Amino acid sequence: MNRVAIIGTGQSKHARRRDDVSQPELIREAVRAALDDAELTPKEIEAVVLSNMELFEGRMMPELWAAEGAMAVGKPCMKVATGGTSGTSSCIAGYHQVASGLFDVLLVVGFEKHSEGHTQTGMALTDPFWDRAIASGALGNFALSISQLIEERGVTERQAAMVACKARRNATRNPHAHLQIPDITVEQVLSSPMLAQPVRLLDMCPQSDGACAVVLASESIARRRCPKPAWIQAAVTRHDQPFLGDLDRRLAAMPTLRDAARVAYDQAGIREPLVELDVAEIYEPVSYAELAWYEALGFCNEGEAGRLIEDGVTEMDGQLPVNPSGGVLSTNPVGASGVIRVAEAALQLHGRAGEHQVDGARRALATGYGVYAWADVMVLGSEP
Amino acid sequence: MSARPTIAVVGVGLSGPTLQDPRSIPEMVLDAVEAALADARLGFDAPDAVVTASVDLHDGLTASNLAITEVVGAVMKPEMRIAADGLCAAIHAACQIWAGAYDTVLVVAHGKASMAAQSQITQWAMDPAYFQALGIDFDICAALQASAAGLELGEIAPSCDAACAVVLQRALQPRVALRGVGHDLDSHDLGARDLASCSGFSRALSRARRVAELQPDASFDLLESSCRYPHERTLVSRACGVPARSSVGDVPVAAGLMALAAATEQLRRNAAVTRALAHGSWGPAGQGQAVAILEATGEARA
Repeated sequence: MNRVAIIGTGQSKHARRRDDVSQPELIREAVRAALDDAELTPKEIEAVVLSNMELFEGRMMPELWAAEGAMAVGKPCMKVATGGTSGTSSCIAGYHQVASGLFDVLLVVGFEKHSEGHTQTGMALTDPFWDRAIASGALGNFALSISQLIEERGVTERQAAMVACKARRNATRNPHAHLQIPDITVEQVLSSPMLAQPVRLLDMCPQSDGACAVVLASESIARRRCPKPAWIQAAVTRHDQPFLGDLDRRLAAMPTLRDAARVAYDQAGIREPLVELDVAEIYEPVSYAELAWYEALGFCNEGEAGRLIEDGVTEMDGQLPVNPSGGVLSTNPVGASGVIRVAEAALQLHGRAGEHQVDGARRALATGYGVYAWADVMVLGSEP
Repeated sequence: MSARPTIAVVGVGLSGPTLQDPRSIPEMVLDAVEAALADARLGFDAPDAVVTASVDLHDGLTASNLAITEVVGAVMKPEMRIAADGLCAAIHAACQIWAGAYDTVLVVAHGKASMAAQSQITQWAMDPAYFQALGIDFDICAALQASAAGLELGEIAPSCDAACAVVLQRALQPRVALRGVGHDLDSHDLGARDLASCSGFSRALSRARRVAELQPDASFDLLESSCRYPHERTLVSRACGVPARSSVGDVPVAAGLMALAAATEQLRRNAAVTRALAHGSWGPAGQGQAVAILEATGEARA
């Protein structure tokens, strides 16, 4: 395949409500920042891929209105929408479009303005015959599969709370992060309101208004325009069947993420992810999910995820820092959340992550998680 | 950059169009997928990847491709879902093959217009600050465009239910080849556009010609257009100099892919047709435009 790299990233200010901007204006913040980062003019963008979940705002095909904000007018532009994986899938779509040779410079923009809609209603619009009567949004169905995870793997509430604290501590070093809880403690998480047994308020991600953009470029452009391109070494998508009741032991099993990681590591030549990766930005909408993903991504054996967080392996100064940005647990504009994972992974390789920079990062993982059990895995590297 | 591989359209399948299909969306889609795979003489598991096109508000489902993951064979496979006209899904699938990511990609689009109040949901696609309060829907935008172009709006095609599936495959000697693709998103602000010129279509066509390495004066024997409005067909026809055929009716989301399937059938069966354009559009007054250039090869004629 033709080589493709990420040469610029940009994020809006993320917050619970961005009443000061419209959806296109929110998008424009991220796009302008990405173009500045890549030192490109709008004219140099040849094509655009957008990412958003329209039923969360109740706006039909918002990309039509958002075209100006994304600097997409008069350009090839299409939208990807696959739930939580929308952002990572849009990056993978952009990757394939540049690798096809059709475009040299392509912009991926993810956006969501949850404050203008009702996300829980949107998430409950599932299959009308079999699922809708029991649809309970992210929280309800996570509570079910987390209970299974606890039973099977022995994961504890305290270990999950440690993940929640790690994310929020990291977020304090990321100026873009929505939630800023500098003095958070495990006890605080464990005493936060119970939302659905065993998930507590501080175990869950927020709903954010925000946008994120990344610039993808062909090899010739990347080498010419970027001092440290973040090369895409692997990109894999896996979807699963659509019925909640048919997904066996979802978080504990997660065959989509396991298979996507297996193939991505193979593409990138990785045998020991914990050793060979320098940083990971993984899509953890709930604290317990991060522990499940440690296993699915091969960071540890089954039943060892709790030890990884207890031993500090995934802390900023650990062997493999996971979510230096604060992750989805700190910032979650759904259509943008996957793009943020990819942007933050690229930012680490660009060496521009500021206070949450992992020193010497040369290989980064970014993942997406969506709907009931869809998964994306991307590996970025300092070398093609 | 390595040379792009040749892409063949090896299978097409259609379910509908009909004014009101009593079946569920997965049933309609499975019908089209099985027909396309049978046409391609491929098994259900043969595609390496799937690209689907659907729009959540049309279907009343969040991540509406969730409803069809099983029937398109995307379980434990790469699936990309495009929320635009179905021809964009084919364009993305072509990119996947040209990139070398996959050899065989199933492209699927569906629309079930009978389930939704089209006027209402297309109003919700309009700029909420300046257009929504005026009650402007896509039909009104079309009337404004027809007026700007000095044309009659004419009889609007009824919106139908249908599903369409197409199999694209890397091939050395294609019977029908997908040579070029192009798409474009114009301004949402009708006042900022020259509605009479259909410039978005012209830009998309120009990109498709470039990809196909066609000379600017290279002609087409056929234009399969997915236009819902007669005046839009006239505009598109003027822009490419080919009389528009529109055998596909109006099906939200699926129409552009149905145009590609219809053009493929013509290239297979009609000796007078050797190069064809397939066209899809979406959004108010054709804000989004997509074009594919298809050719029948000499081998196919033999």
